[in-house]
Amino acid sequence: MAQPSPPGSGGNVSRRDFLKLLAAAGTVMTFAPFVDWGKFLPNPSGLLRERQKVELPDGSQASVKTFPVNHSEAVIYPKTNDPVLNKESFKVWQFIRLPVELGGDKNDVSSFRMYSQVCLHLWCLWKYWPQEGRKRGECPCHGSMYDPLTGEAFAGPASLQAPPSNVLPRLDLEIDSQGNIWVKPPNWSVNGNGIVGFGRFLT
Amino acid sequence: MGVSLHRENSLVRFLRWVYAGVDRTIFMGLKFTFPGRFVSPLGFLGMITFVLFIILGITGALLMLFYEPILDRAWNSVQTINDVIPYGFHLRNIHYHASNAMVMVALLHMYYQYFSGRYKIRNEILWVTGIILGVLTILEAFTGYDIIFSERAELAISIAASLTNSIPILGPQIREAFFGSGFHDFVLRFYAFHVFFLPIVLLGLMVVHFPRFLVFDVPIVMAISGAVMLTGGVFPVDLGLRFDPNVPPGITVPEWYLTGLYAFLRSAYDKFTTGVAWPGLFIFSLLIIPFIDRYKKFSWKDRPLITAIGITGLAQIIVTTYWGFYIDPDRTKSLLERLVIDPVFLYLVMILLVPLSFGFTYMMIKLAKNAEANAKLQPKKSGSGKSSINLPQRWIFGVLIALIAFQVYLNIAAYYAVINGMKNYSLFIVGIMMLVFAGMFHIFRHGRSMEKAPPPKPTVPATPLKSKPSPAVATVPSKPALTPPGELSKSTPAISNQVDKPLAPPPVAKGSSSSSQSSSTTQKSGDTKTDSKVKMADIPESKSIRE
Repeated sequence: MAQPSPPGSGGNVSRRDFLKLLAAAGTVMTFAPFVDWGKFLPNPSGLLRERQKVELPDGSQASVKTFPVNHSEAVIYPKTNDPVLNKESFKVWQFIRLPVELGGDKNDVSSFRMYSQVCLHLWCLWKYWPQEGRKRGECPCHGSMYDPLTGEAFAGPASLQAPPSNVLPRLDLEIDSQGNIWVKPPNWSVNGNGIVGFGRFLT
Repeated sequence: MGVSLHRENSLVRFLRWVYAGVDRTIFMGLKFTFPGRFVSPLGFLGMITFVLFIILGITGALLMLFYEPILDRAWNSVQTINDVIPYGFHLRNIHYHASNAMVMVALLHMYYQYFSGRYKIRNEILWVTGIILGVLTILEAFTGYDIIFSERAELAISIAASLTNSIPILGPQIREAFFGSGFHDFVLRFYAFHVFFLPIVLLGLMVVHFPRFLVFDVPIVMAISGAVMLTGGVFPVDLGLRFDPNVPPGITVPEWYLTGLYAFLRSAYDKFTTGVAWPGLFIFSLLIIPFIDRYKKFSWKDRPLITAIGITGLAQIIVTTYWGFYIDPDRTKSLLERLVIDPVFLYLVMILLVPLSFGFTYMMIKLAKNAEANAKLQPKKSGSGKSSINLPQRWIFGVLIALIAFQVYLNIAAYYAVINGMKNYSLFIVGIMMLVFAGMFHIFRHGRSMEKAPPPKPTVPATPLKSKPSPAVATVPSKPALTPPGELSKSTPAISNQVDKPLAPPPVAKGSSSSSQSSSTTQKSGDTKTDSKVKMADIPESKSIRE
């Protein structure tokens, strides 16, 4: 099909090739905007730009003044108006005030932790056990144990997984002037707050 | 016979008209063959896979009417289908067992094509699309058992998600984009994949994958369907326990087509390597095998290296599939100890299987070649290994009536079983009914061929089995074109006795000899349409791929 370029055309691109090039460029330009449409795919419900309350199961906001030391509660984050979606394991977080020996008696944000309750092994829900001698997160399914200070698994199958799958995702908290506790907007990446069910790099 | 069904009633004429109209559609390129006698199903395993796909489509579509892909309702809706909805148990079991059968038959199909070297005759596109179809079939089956959202489904979902997460750099983003975040998304999206995305891609690829020659053997198709139902009756699939994130799950293993992969995952070695790279490498090597295979011949015996590679892969699959299922029964050990497979041991066995498989292949080829040489030395036995049962006409009617009576009885039994709540017994009986139908159709087909075939003329030598190829054929060409079809079919077993158009004898002589592969390929171009159809039906060794 290729016609020889007319004699004396000079350039090394023939008229026909140039035409093809233009058509290709036009096609690329036509479909370029659709690349960004890929953002349709991930669920945007976790993308929060504002701080959210730490809402305890009784409906009150967690406060640094009232939340007992060496204690934990399951907190739904981000909370929705749909009771079915609120049952979602991936929205369940363990809100812990550390024991005294780990600095839980301080009245600032450093005495609080908020980890994803989804065990990094096979996604059961672990929880914090405040009893003397335990004071750690334990998973009921295969016995993975988590350090409440860092969220790192130190025993059980989760501890054998390579990073980032051995450290729980953790939300950043802040305390306002009234002592109420808020969750800062998260960065869902292994180098940020971590990915629920997958893990986080310990920095 | 007093009563006969008129062949040219208006319905038949309408169907003929439709059939003629199909000539204008894409199907005119396809050559459909309904074999006139039993042919080995190995040649049309692809068509069986497709039939199972259709069964899955129908049962799946029906299950969609009651299944709810919602986080807290998925398992309950499956339970409702299983326990409450009339015939829900039946449909669910058929759907489940047909999915297993489809994966199994697809695998058999692939290995049959692999060892017979059919991808060599410009069938590379068929092979490559077939491999992609196979992978998608397994994904389809996988997403299917995940959306029940039982304990086992949750484990499967978590493994799938963590494997996707483990892909370097883009893993978490891919997981977010395709699986979403959280169980609610996983169930809903796996459902979307299961009922729409994957099937539509499968169908699209099938359009490319379908060869032009198709065989649809009613008895075999019915027998496969019956076997699926029978299996469903004997081994009804359980619901599993509803997933509860606060309750330790029992030990569960994935479906059998994934336990091979599971064995590698259980070695607790790096997730990406074991769960993504190894299967990826396996699929990739299957994809490129037709481009590596440079042997000029087709048979597995003449392609030692490729055969050895195939046997190695097969051996590794079988060993790891079993290994994935095996869990140390010693309950005194910790769960981790029972589950984890020592990677050194596993990989050592995998490596050890290579020389073993190569040695095995070498031995098999030696034996096969020896057997071939021996067979050439010895004079051919009469009947060339094929015996035929010739029921007299009256007996055929008798058998058919008995089978129909049996079906009536089975129908009643199946109905009573449903009424009494014996669901698997009912399914079992329905399975048997399908098998009886398969037998009935076979007898019917046999009877029809008998009817068309007048008794053989006495010119044929009076050996007890008149199927000796060469002398019988030698007698025929005296009256080449005028030989009635019946006589041909009597004298040469390789040729169908149901073809109502007379055959030209020369292809017969070639076709009945052992070197059918060259003859059929050379004839294909020159033959008429009917002729090549007959070839497809009757010569299992013919070298074009049949579905």
